[in-house]
Amino acid sequence: MRIGVYFCLCGPNIAEKIDSEAVRQAVERLPGFGYYRTVEFLCSAVGTSAMEKDVRENRPDRVVVAACSVRDHEETFRGVLARAGMNPFLMQMVNVREHIAWVTADREKATEKAIRHLGAAMRRVALHEPLERREIDVCTDVLVVGAGPAGLKAALNFAEAGRKVCLVEKEPVLGGLPARYEAMFPDMECGPCVLETVLGDVLHGPHAERIEILTLSSVADVVGYYGNYTVTIRQSPRYISPDLCIACGECIPVCPAVSGNPFNYGINGRKAVDYAFQGGLPNLPFIDPESCLRTTGNEDCRLCREACPVEGAVVYEDSGKQVTRQVGAILVATGAGLYDCSRLPNLGYGRLPDVFTSLEFERILAANGPTGGAIRKTDGSPPKRIAILHCVGSLDPRHKEYCSGVCCETAFKFNRLVAHKLPGAEVTHFYKTFSVPGKRGYKLFGEAGARASTRFVRYDDIDRLEIRSDGSRGHHVVLTSPGGGSSVTESDMVVLCPALVPSEGTARMAQMLEAATDRFGFMEELHGRMDSVRSKVRGIYMAGTCQAPMDTQKAVEQALAASGAILAGLVPGRKLVIEPVTALVDAERCSACRSCIPVCPYKAISFDSEKDSAVVNSVLCVGCGTCVSTCPSGAIKGNHFTDEQVFAEIEGVLS
Amino acid sequence: MGFLCNWCSYAGADKAGTAQLQVPPNLSAIRVMCTGRVDPQFVLKAFREGADGVVILGCHLGDCHYKEQNYRALQRHRILLAMLRQLGIEEERCRLDFVSAAEGEGFARLVTGMVEAIKPLGPLDLAADRHGSDQLT
Repeated sequence: MRIGVYFCLCGPNIAEKIDSEAVRQAVERLPGFGYYRTVEFLCSAVGTSAMEKDVRENRPDRVVVAACSVRDHEETFRGVLARAGMNPFLMQMVNVREHIAWVTADREKATEKAIRHLGAAMRRVALHEPLERREIDVCTDVLVVGAGPAGLKAALNFAEAGRKVCLVEKEPVLGGLPARYEAMFPDMECGPCVLETVLGDVLHGPHAERIEILTLSSVADVVGYYGNYTVTIRQSPRYISPDLCIACGECIPVCPAVSGNPFNYGINGRKAVDYAFQGGLPNLPFIDPESCLRTTGNEDCRLCREACPVEGAVVYEDSGKQVTRQVGAILVATGAGLYDCSRLPNLGYGRLPDVFTSLEFERILAANGPTGGAIRKTDGSPPKRIAILHCVGSLDPRHKEYCSGVCCETAFKFNRLVAHKLPGAEVTHFYKTFSVPGKRGYKLFGEAGARASTRFVRYDDIDRLEIRSDGSRGHHVVLTSPGGGSSVTESDMVVLCPALVPSEGTARMAQMLEAATDRFGFMEELHGRMDSVRSKVRGIYMAGTCQAPMDTQKAVEQALAASGAILAGLVPGRKLVIEPVTALVDAERCSACRSCIPVCPYKAISFDSEKDSAVVNSVLCVGCGTCVSTCPSGAIKGNHFTDEQVFAEIEGVLS
Repeated sequence: MGFLCNWCSYAGADKAGTAQLQVPPNLSAIRVMCTGRVDPQFVLKAFREGADGVVILGCHLGDCHYKEQNYRALQRHRILLAMLRQLGIEEERCRLDFVSAAEGEGFARLVTGMVEAIKPLGPLDLAADRHGSDQLT
């Protein structure tokens, strides 16, 4: 063993505090010592090329570099070794600048400490192994789950970059929630119009052939890892052939089965064969098997097929399909839902008529909604006084602590739509606090405030609000003050703006992908600020409200961010480099206790029952080493931080 | 003897260096990628090799580069303290704390404080302790 030691003086930085000559005299007596070089500035162009030449000529077995922080120049000197034809992991750095020279006033003590640390590095480096960076082939196609604004934008971005995309959507139509909105804040553009630019390109644009759209579909299984996933997707039957249907709608009026329309939250009914809503894309009706007579009692009903002018367009025999796709990365864009208002029984939701959630009210306002866009009470008459409750279940530790940040603007959008549709109708906003951030958020807020028909009532605690029915006259919103007095606001329609919560699809995908969720159930970011579109599991990305409450603008920005990250990580023709500083399980020593599996937040460890041993996936492993110190059998080795290497370093610094 | 996580505490120690603060030269620090890698055996080994105190420094709770591994270090440290007590090693000699990449001053203060806290205990003499317990048995 011949260890080459390079001692950088870093100009006066190290030289003034550490006597390099004394260090040389001390370390040349240590086992394995090969040679010692003192260099003025080792990281400079002159320093690195001299070191490269020196290593190439002297061919040491190991190298110790005493210089600055590992965090500064470890990669620099690893590069030098690699260029000199030596394995870059056969080096150990000693941080004599930041950790010794700069923090120790006494030159003698600094020198003594440097000697101990160099000795430790020599002991350690002798145990270093030549580690190799591995390269694997990757698939550069992408799976996008959820075809709301975020999923659509990301899919389009991938297709434009030349990648194949599989876009999975559970509903029969694309567009997510905004497709159902009459108008979107802050500029009051209609929801479908906002989506149209993206949807048009996804369906028919110049890159559309690279996007495979699977509606009525869900991800059934995912196996593999970053760069190499096999995904199984289950598509439910539509019973209408997308290839043959001409969207004439002749099948709909003849259908005798009616059930609550889920796209309008049950406010009106839909036929068993019907569109989700007018203008939904792809422009195709679908049969709901749960309400179709053929499944509920009259197998012989063929009215829709008989009414259809195209032979074979209504396919009762459709049983859906299951497909498998190879992808390299998965983007989850499964969106959010609303906090369950029935958990606030004082608000009467689900019990009293004309108490709606914000999403239900969106549909009432929408021209393609259950009332054709007319604001009507259940009895068909227009309301005269509407109460809008902000912060329902928000900013409340008994419900959700957070502010969703989108409900206020939604509420002020409602205010404007009410003013236009029902001139003179009074609107009272009950709020805890207002949140209208950004350069346009003030607009609708300001408009609402300037309207004579608008009132604002502040409340502290939602439990002090109660919606009481006054029979046919409507409701009273009763606000009790902490002192006991109460104020009553008459209203004949109440709109609740609840907190955004993760959708069921988000919970399902997070569980299937083993991606961590936060305590609210939103998908957890790799880093809250610097990496908010990556999950903790490498290869799993997220965009939109599956990660946190946000508006459409931010959701689409996240989609662009996530697609950027995926496109940068998976490049056609480029292999995935796997860093060797990972954990390795010795199957012979593994006692199959599985203690290591739950401690890995990256889901890099699985159990191979054939080998009867835990296995580390080096693509997913980040090399933190926690499993190494968890293993009670000593069966896991932490590359480059092995027990033996750390022990040698401990012995060295304490010698 | 110190075990410093790569991402926060080692960087915090670097920061103490860049700010040219004084850190007692008694500290010998070893870098690990994460406090989650700090095997209790590392600490025992350090005491056996003559360390009078061991400090394990990681990212602040909630800031771990590897998400939650400093919590595991915290759990292990609690168990380790119980074991050290049984071995007759004072709790003050083994400390787990948190230093962020920005806390150069905090790092210097923490190490100085630790050295000051151990001084009154004197050097750890494992041989003498062992001898003592031999006499008991």
